[in-house]
Amino acid sequence: MADVQPILQVKDLYKRFGGLIAVDHVSLEIHPGEVIGLLGDNGAGKSTLIKMISGAYKPDGGQILLDGEAVSFSTPLEARRRGIETIYQDLALCENLDASANIFLGRERMRHQLGIFRVLNRSYMLRESRQVLDQLDIRIPELRNPIRQLSGGQRQAVSIARAVYWKAHLMIMDEPTAALGVPEQLKVLELIRTLRNQGVPVLLISHNMQDVFAVADRVIVMRRGSKAGERRISETNENEVVGLMVGAEYTRVVKQLHDAPEEMHITTHDESEKEIG
Amino acid sequence: MKVPDVAIPDANQSQPRKTALRPLDIVSRGWSWLFLLLLIIFFSITGQGFLNIYNFQTIGADMALVLIMALGQTFVIISGGIDLSTGFVMGMASVTAALVMSHMGGSVPLFVVVLAGVAAALGIGLIPGLVNGVIIARLRVPPFIVTLGMYGIARGAGFILSGGQPVSIQTNGIGQIGNAYLLYLLPDGRFSFFHLPSNLQGIRPSQIVQLLPFPLILLVVVTLICAWLLWQTRFGRHTYAVGGSEEASRRAGIPVVRHTILIYVFSALMASLAGVLYTMRFSNGAADVGDPLLLTSIAAVIIGGASLLGGEGTILGTVIGALIIAIIQNGLIFLGINPFWQFIAVGAVIILAVLVDQAKKKLV
Amino acid sequence: MEDTELGKKSLNRREFLAGTAAVLAGGSFLAACGGSTSTPSSNSTNYTFVLIQGVKGDPFYVTMQKGAQQMADKLGVKLLVDGPAQFSATLQAPIVDAYIAKKVDVMIIAACDKQAMIAPLQRANDAGIKVISVDTFIGNGDYASGPVTFPLSYIGSDNVQGGKIAGEALIKAIGNKGGIYIENVTPGISTTDQRQQGCVEAIQATNGAVMLVGSNYDNDSAATASQQVSALLSSSKGAQVNGIFGTNLFSAEGAAQAVKNANKQGQIKIANFDAPQEAINDLNNGAVDLVIAQKPADMGSTAVQYGVYALTGKTSSIQKRVPTGYVVIDKTNVNDPASQAAIYKSS
Repeated sequence: MADVQPILQVKDLYKRFGGLIAVDHVSLEIHPGEVIGLLGDNGAGKSTLIKMISGAYKPDGGQILLDGEAVSFSTPLEARRRGIETIYQDLALCENLDASANIFLGRERMRHQLGIFRVLNRSYMLRESRQVLDQLDIRIPELRNPIRQLSGGQRQAVSIARAVYWKAHLMIMDEPTAALGVPEQLKVLELIRTLRNQGVPVLLISHNMQDVFAVADRVIVMRRGSKAGERRISETNENEVVGLMVGAEYTRVVKQLHDAPEEMHITTHDESEKEIG
Repeated sequence: MKVPDVAIPDANQSQPRKTALRPLDIVSRGWSWLFLLLLIIFFSITGQGFLNIYNFQTIGADMALVLIMALGQTFVIISGGIDLSTGFVMGMASVTAALVMSHMGGSVPLFVVVLAGVAAALGIGLIPGLVNGVIIARLRVPPFIVTLGMYGIARGAGFILSGGQPVSIQTNGIGQIGNAYLLYLLPDGRFSFFHLPSNLQGIRPSQIVQLLPFPLILLVVVTLICAWLLWQTRFGRHTYAVGGSEEASRRAGIPVVRHTILIYVFSALMASLAGVLYTMRFSNGAADVGDPLLLTSIAAVIIGGASLLGGEGTILGTVIGALIIAIIQNGLIFLGINPFWQFIAVGAVIILAVLVDQAKKKLV
Repeated sequence: MEDTELGKKSLNRREFLAGTAAVLAGGSFLAACGGSTSTPSSNSTNYTFVLIQGVKGDPFYVTMQKGAQQMADKLGVKLLVDGPAQFSATLQAPIVDAYIAKKVDVMIIAACDKQAMIAPLQRANDAGIKVISVDTFIGNGDYASGPVTFPLSYIGSDNVQGGKIAGEALIKAIGNKGGIYIENVTPGISTTDQRQQGCVEAIQATNGAVMLVGSNYDNDSAATASQQVSALLSSSKGAQVNGIFGTNLFSAEGAAQAVKNANKQGQIKIANFDAPQEAINDLNNGAVDLVIAQKPADMGSTAVQYGVYALTGKTSSIQKRVPTGYVVIDKTNVNDPASQAAIYKSS
């Protein structure tokens, strides 16, 4: 894998908002068929980093290379045109439309009526949607119902299917399993694996450690805007990752609390000392 | 390459369809139909003379103004907005059409006069439509407020254009077209299209059977076009999309700003068309002719199943909504009931429509 | 969603076709049974009249209704009464159409617009219904030789004369010199336009002693009238105003309110056209100085009488124009029986 040209390379990406440095010279690489977990506490800069890759923000410094070529997106649509599909937490779906309408949203397929009028080609869109959903083994029995009638997991699936259909080159997912029940979370993870197996790399933001460890190949941890660390999943464990997320100092405290609590002194505000034991 | 999903409980299932509720489902979807049918039956039984061709044709012709405005409003409401300016845009357009048509000399062929009137009215309708659309789409001011402002502006503009007085058209031909029927049948078997047959010796006007009044024909054509637009075109689908989620539409690449402007222009154009129809029927144009119809046209859209939050609604629904209101108004006259009851009746139907809609959402 | 619409549409397309077929079949059947083309029943003594008011709930029209009902009861005729919620041709036309379908024998109507209501009333006439104008007219009111001649008669006040009477009385009340302002209703209503015309003629007849300060339209809203007059009184023109003529009830009421608010009661004289109880109250407490009462009850009863004449062939008794008169009420004669009888009823 390491010899293959990375699909995405981010070099020294930098973004500040006024006095706050949101992303501080972060670099990373994603190769075909890799699932990268992007972890970090709130405010670590994960969302900002993602938004720069997907074209929602313009970087203040650094470079983004897609298939080796430097790119600069002024709008998310440009990123999408280059094959970077982003699935946001709110899914960006229209609840009142059905699955196939959502899959083809903004990219509707037309046909000619009476030779001169351009109208929606519903049968084509239904057929193609059915196909991509089958390909991803997503079961939606009645494709023509508005998606508000589908479960959360199925809606996620539609969102993913949309990205896949339009030949996503790189998939970015922001908290895909938040607000889903356990069986549905498993289904989404399965879809991510399917994507990986089809060679589509996935950059996954998640708070859910279990998910990340279940499905990712590598994990990149951010803390306070910079990259705190990067590990192969096979070579690390949850504790270490958490440690990277929250920082060494805090980790030491936690570790000590865990290992030798009797040696700890806890000071309360009224200056009286208590021993825990 | 499929990963076997043996161990994973089937999260693919959507909530199982409650098959026992299927009949209720049909009723809730088709309730307005049923209601309409019941209304017609009720008034036919209780009101003498309600059920006849003449009455139904006149109901159709008289509801044309409201329905044409409501058709434009349907698109606006589905897209998540509202247009309060349509009444006065209709008035402004009627004044413009009347001015243009009455200024064209008698030597100009009638259909050119009509075309000129229509073109002028639609042209003037573009202005409030564009202003509404641009301010709503670009400046992000809520539609209620913008169109409320335009309500006042169009009203003033209409009165200024007309010099404060209703504008009459003296050219006789216009009114004849506006009130013409497609087919006239004489008792002696003769018939003609679009105008009364000549030589009406000994035949009283009431003996002539008239079929399909002009406003009704126009209404049917316009309704079909709007239905096609909303159902078959990309413009129609984008209308639903923007109403469902403006943000999702934006991210999907739908040109939301342009679309919104088009929607409000369309609404204004429909209001203008209603204005021209008014002028042709009444040989008259005035700034305030459309104002009494505004709330009725919005009510028709709501009764028809549209949600004020956007994303829902159909042309057919709006037609039924307008029909229900028109039939209530007409039927109560035949029943001989105090006409103030019609307001209560229409108000009750609006509330009923919203309640059924809520219940429908909970059932699914 | 619209693919649900597909389901919905095909479900409803069937229902639509079924429903339409049922209705058309039923309608055609009934029509064939003589529903739509026969003339209104003129062979029985069960005549049906309809009085279509200019607007519902207005005391002027309520009084007219009472007069009409009295005559209807006396002549054994059934009288229906209806009217639009607002004084608007857009709302009145469908009412006319419904009564045409209902096949009344006589339609007595106060048309909301003299031009717009021509077409609907022509339809009524073509359907064999006798049309009689009360209060307002269509065309130019001259049903003998004007552009519109199908209505049987125009029964109403001579509003030009009425305006003139009001104007002259007002001019006298302000001492034959000064400025008069006219608060009018909506352009296009034949009656109020003529009252303004009459008042202006009275002013012109003073040869400059009295001048017209201005006029405005309040759309039949007392609140708007009040606003307009208040603004006028506060403006530089305010000092020129000695008298105000309100061409209908709400106009005068609004003007009176504004004058009261400006503390000019008694200094600015107000003439009120139309005499509901509120106007008399205003007269009694000094807000208004003159009330010109029309005779709506006479209009109603004459119209019903004429309807019966027409149906029974006594067409020679029908005059094309019946000017009904006025009662000028002021503080000196308000309690006379004639004045009291002229006050409009509101129910």
